Amino acid sequence: MQLLLNALIAGSFAALLASGLSLVYGVLGIFNMALGQLALVGGLTTWWLVSILSLPLPLAIAGGILITALTTWFGFEFFVAPYYRRHRFLPLVTTIAFSMILDGLILVIFHQEPKTIDVGTRTLLPVFDALISSQQIVLIVLTILFLALLTWVLVKTAFGRRIRATVQHPTAAESLGIRSSLLHRIVFIVSGVLAGFAGIYVGIDQNLTPTIGFAITIKAYAAIIAGGKDSMKGTILCAYLIALLEQLSIGLPWFGSYIPSGYQSTVALLVIILVLLIKPQGLFGSKTRIA
Amino acid sequence: MNYLLHILTMIGLSIPNILGYNLIFGRGKFLHFGPIATSLFSSYAMFLTLRETGNYLSAFFVGLLASLLLSSFFAWLALRLESDALGILTIAMHLALLSVVLNWSSLTRGALGLPQIPRITGMLSLPVFASVSIVIALLWIFFMVRVHRSWLGRELSALAENRAHAEALGINRARVTLSAFLIGGLGATITNTLYPQYIGLLHPNDYQFSNLIFFILCVVAGGPGSVRGVVISIVLLTSLQELIRFLPLPLGLIGPMRLLFFGLILIIAVYIRRKEIFPMQRSV
Repeated sequence: MQLLLNALIAGSFAALLASGLSLVYGVLGIFNMALGQLALVGGLTTWWLVSILSLPLPLAIAGGILITALTTWFGFEFFVAPYYRRHRFLPLVTTIAFSMILDGLILVIFHQEPKTIDVGTRTLLPVFDALISSQQIVLIVLTILFLALLTWVLVKTAFGRRIRATVQHPTAAESLGIRSSLLHRIVFIVSGVLAGFAGIYVGIDQNLTPTIGFAITIKAYAAIIAGGKDSMKGTILCAYLIALLEQLSIGLPWFGSYIPSGYQSTVALLVIILVLLIKPQGLFGSKTRIA
Repeated sequence: MNYLLHILTMIGLSIPNILGYNLIFGRGKFLHFGPIATSLFSSYAMFLTLRETGNYLSAFFVGLLASLLLSSFFAWLALRLESDALGILTIAMHLALLSVVLNWSSLTRGALGLPQIPRITGMLSLPVFASVSIVIALLWIFFMVRVHRSWLGRELSALAENRAHAEALGINRARVTLSAFLIGGLGATITNTLYPQYIGLLHPNDYQFSNLIFFILCVVAGGPGSVRGVVISIVLLTSLQELIRFLPLPLGLIGPMRLLFFGLILIIAVYIRRKEIFPMQRSV
């Protein structure tokens, strides 16, 4: 049971990141390699507002999200917009440059020490034979609400219909008056905001080490590739599935002995490798012509 | 004088691996982010064998075999996957191998690395080591110029520009892709036979993701597919990387400043070379 709860906690974090990534890939057809660093921007600026400026937590979270949104917007204008219409693979290289610059700035400003967002005393609650903190319950519930809201916006609102129209046929959507460039900006910023929330999530639940940006990005990619690049539901489901696999791989004895916890992150990487080799379009992706 | 020799050695050691990568990423336009994974796999296979046998020749062949095997695997992936999936999977392979090296301490000594890597007899002094690495680099440059001008270079360019047209003209995609990746693997083996000998240590920190960024930077800044341009960018960027150590900055700031600096150079280089990195198809 504890392993299931741990998977739910880790999966919620990965689902937040991966859903934004999936949205960006679906609409713009590009990958953002600086997503992990954007998560760190959200988490670390919230930590700074809480710990250094002593702001109340809700205000600090709002401030952290605002700074992440502005950073993402800046990233889009300088590292994505001039390139993605020329070739959709160019942003893969330019966002690597963006991630390096963010990594450098984060290390200069916040240094290497891990940071935890202080939310007061943690109360542990028993669930069957496992334990979960009240903060973790709030984080999981908020994540599910966020993802439900995102799905509702995409499926039920006029804005969501515009997004889906742009994904299905960008030229036809533009000819019907949909401003795709504005839509691209909004979608990219939304993915950054979701990453910012994910960073705050880690900062509250565990701690934020300024050097983990790239590992976070790869974790989100594992979910999007396993789920299918064109399937947000598949991506979210696979985020939880990979988290469960990670927990099971190190939490249970295999052939009489436990796998060292250092290998935990390798599970997500192995999932990417296996899925791409066996079903390159992902477990829930539609079959498209591949190279 | 010793410092100049050190920079020359570092330039000479970088050239085989980066020029090999230039053939794959620069000329062939494969979104391959696994050259450091190949280097890591090859060097650990080589120097673990050396530790067990004490024989450099057999260790070299084991390292070469490991490098060629992983390169063949990457070539197979390049034939099977879309470009962006290839990029992600090669990064995943890199991180997975690094994780194994860091966690399998009983074999690899984990984060401590393998110390006391002996130099080949006759290459003990810095001037000799620098001379050998420069001669090898010059030979490799000559070889790569020939490769780029050969059928392989031309067929790689044709496939990169329009795969369907190139295959319709009879170009064997599997042969060309495999050849390019194997040459890249050979370059990685040459560099990684010499580099751990030079510093006397095989350490996982030398195979981190930041090293890949340096490779991409050299290829993009020099002009993707251009041997002369990439050699010039290796000379300038390696010298710059070494000179950053002498900036009057606190010790903890040198690493972050290097990230900032090279990130800025990379985005400027991509902006200047944006038409060449992934060129649009010509229309008739």
